[in-house]
Amino acid sequence: MTSREHDLLTLSIATEPLDVTMREVVRTHGVTAVAAACRGESGTPEVPGEWRERLRSSPPDRVLAAGADSGACWVVPGRSAWPVALDDLDAVDDPGLAPWGLWVRGEGRPELTRAVSVVGARACTTYGAEVASDLGADLADRGWTVVSGAAFGIDGCAHRGALGVSGRTVAVLACGVDVAYPRAHTNLLDRIAEVGWIVSEHPPGTEPLRHRFLTRNRIIAALGAGTVVVEAAARSGSLNTLRWADRLGRASMAVPGPVLSQQSSGTHLAVRRGEAVLVTSSDDVAEELDGLGWADQAPSDALTDEARLIHQALARESGLGIGDLTVVLELPVRTVRAGLSMLERRGCARRTSGGWVVARDVPA
Amino acid sequence: MSGRAISVTLDGLTGRPIEVEADIVGGLPRTVIVGLPDATVNEARDRCKSAVMNSGVPWPDQRITVNLAPSTLPKTGSHYDLPIAIAVLAAQRAVPADELVGTAFVGELALDGRLRAVPGVLPATLAAAEAGCTHIVVPEVNVPEAELVEGIVVTGVRSLRQLVAMMTGDEVPDDPPVPPIDPPSAQPWGSIERLTGLDLADVAGHEDVRLAVLVAAVGGHHLSMVGPPGVGKTMLAQRLPGLLPDLERSDAIEVSAVHSVAGLLPSDVPLLVRPPFLDPHHTASAAAIVGGGSRLVRPGAMSLAHRGVLFLDEAPEFAINVLEALRQPLESGRIVVARAAQTIVYPARFQLVIAANPCPCGQGATRGSTCRCSPAMRRRYGEKISGPIRDRIDIRRTLTTPSRPELVETLATSRGTHDLAGMVLSARARQRRRYDGTPWRVNADVPGPELRRSWPLTDDARLLLDRQLRADKLNPRSADRVLRLAWSVADLHEHDRPDANDVRTALSLRSDLPLDAAMRALVAA
Repeated sequence: MTSREHDLLTLSIATEPLDVTMREVVRTHGVTAVAAACRGESGTPEVPGEWRERLRSSPPDRVLAAGADSGACWVVPGRSAWPVALDDLDAVDDPGLAPWGLWVRGEGRPELTRAVSVVGARACTTYGAEVASDLGADLADRGWTVVSGAAFGIDGCAHRGALGVSGRTVAVLACGVDVAYPRAHTNLLDRIAEVGWIVSEHPPGTEPLRHRFLTRNRIIAALGAGTVVVEAAARSGSLNTLRWADRLGRASMAVPGPVLSQQSSGTHLAVRRGEAVLVTSSDDVAEELDGLGWADQAPSDALTDEARLIHQALARESGLGIGDLTVVLELPVRTVRAGLSMLERRGCARRTSGGWVVARDVPA
Repeated sequence: MSGRAISVTLDGLTGRPIEVEADIVGGLPRTVIVGLPDATVNEARDRCKSAVMNSGVPWPDQRITVNLAPSTLPKTGSHYDLPIAIAVLAAQRAVPADELVGTAFVGELALDGRLRAVPGVLPATLAAAEAGCTHIVVPEVNVPEAELVEGIVVTGVRSLRQLVAMMTGDEVPDDPPVPPIDPPSAQPWGSIERLTGLDLADVAGHEDVRLAVLVAAVGGHHLSMVGPPGVGKTMLAQRLPGLLPDLERSDAIEVSAVHSVAGLLPSDVPLLVRPPFLDPHHTASAAAIVGGGSRLVRPGAMSLAHRGVLFLDEAPEFAINVLEALRQPLESGRIVVARAAQTIVYPARFQLVIAANPCPCGQGATRGSTCRCSPAMRRRYGEKISGPIRDRIDIRRTLTTPSRPELVETLATSRGTHDLAGMVLSARARQRRRYDGTPWRVNADVPGPELRRSWPLTDDARLLLDRQLRADKLNPRSADRVLRLAWSVADLHEHDRPDANDVRTALSLRSDLPLDAAMRALVAA
């Protein structure tokens, strides 16, 4: 661990993430000097005793050890794993809002350069739950990483949707990455950690407190190229995420619901005030992100070579069945079947009563 | 020389005693039955004659007049064979007359004297006990049914020979048992057995409809489901009976009596303790659904579903007269079949579940739909279920095809029937405590004014309902239905009184809106 990583960790322990005094002091004196002062190694700049107190009660070394125990590591700006999208937070507000660093737990390597945030009410309706899981799955299918907050309701459904199609997903917590909150989502968090990431700017062991959810929302908004709110009551925290996305220049989107539903009143209000664009499906989301320069991942990108071979074979001779293809291409049935379903999903091949035919060209 | 024996006739489920008299007088040998017998009863002459003679007792070579009193009441059914034979034997003094006092006889005779099973023994026994009989003689196969009735001694016999020996005090001959010709177990209709093992958790997705089924089970509310073919409407309907608690004993006897009259009661398990489930096909005739028949008025599907579930799949395809016949039982809980000679009343307090496609082609109202039905066709299709019936259906849900069916499976974390049935049971217990000392059992039974007077809502809930009424979003009758639903939701949530959220949920259930998180938590595992 470099001394800079250690210093940033010190800062993250000394105060809450958005402590204005801390941000001001760091801007004037620099990370190294403030960290040293917090540790009590130097007298300038002068730092509140409360910060030293926090450091004394959880010294960085012990925090690092706790992180290592739970399989988490400390990632700071400049590292390859650091999501550069978070740097935009420093541009929005004067003293800078980017986290000092991120605790990351998880085996996966989620592609955080292509991420969409899907958030919404904890107390969601049956409709919201269905839309959120569909959206999570559809976006993951299109190659987007689904970012959310692992809360009950919409968040959980979005994560589950992405996991359901073996997609990538990232949970941003308002507590330590080793704290299972909400407790009923322990299994969900473990599954997310297997294929994606669980991240937090708080040291391991931090308890989820009310204000931490609001500061957490800025990270969710910053990580995604856009934020979709599926359901939100009039004063929901999800609208806070939506506003962060707006401030960050990300696409802010909202899913409509029945006008009589309380859980959609917030999203409807956001649309009416022009704070969000109305979206109904992953197609709409993709179109919206496309407008911001995020081209949807070309469907062929994920096509396997075998699928391309099958497509070529079908282009040569239309109306082949699975059996014919295994013979022509000398491929196992399983591969042929997987390739065909891949082509069908992308609209490149179609099943007819007389066998499979090419529907459109595979993009190069 | 004359003899008498008591039997029973059934008007629907209520029976009354019939006195069978036989008089042997001089004249040409001939047997005459009077007292409005139908063809079946008239044929009893020949069956009785052969059976008596084959039991080792001579048939008098004189004129025999058999009278079935009261003589103005039409008689039907083969169960008069046994009392006629006994009355003739009594007239000949072949059996002691004092053995016949307070004893009712029911059973069909075979020519060799064996006693065959008859339908309707349970209600007949009930009627006999009510009429003051202390003893009833039935075919041995029907004994388990008859024994469900308390306060009457049941004797089962296999043949006339055995019965005569019993009455004269001779040694009772050991005749072989008489198996029923038409074993009722061969008729699975109405039995819930075929639904055993069906779990609500098997239905992937459709969280809001699973919740609707749960609330329907709690309060006995009628339910309608509209959706494209293959979306799971039938699966959901078949899983409703599994959530319902066992029948109370008095209900069980009533239900068993209806099934007994229809000849559908299995002889090995005569008491139906599970609520019945009837799903007649949409081509079924009005008589099959309502009840009827040429001579004997048999109970129809609506009565067989008494205290259970009547499921009309593809409801708009049913004949209009069948659908309109739903009005009376939905209102009064019984069916009255009026005939020139008699009026039969069968109980029919069932829970109605109807499933329908959104339009004739079935593909309407879905995303990316390929429906080509014209608006007029759709409207006509929907209007097959007329307003008065639609208005009585408390819970309405529209089902859509899941956009990602494969995903739904992996996301399923739903509670199974076992857990949910427990919730229904405790919610029903709350209702039973609340309605103790009233004629009502479940929320759906309670009349609106009574509900408003005796069990008020919380203030904010009442305000909400009043606002809906004032804004003309509800008419007074539908407001009552919302109120009953709100009670069922409150019972599920274990609230003492429905609050504003419960009323809101009830409104959502009725107007096909999404259900809130508190409801979702009920079915999530």
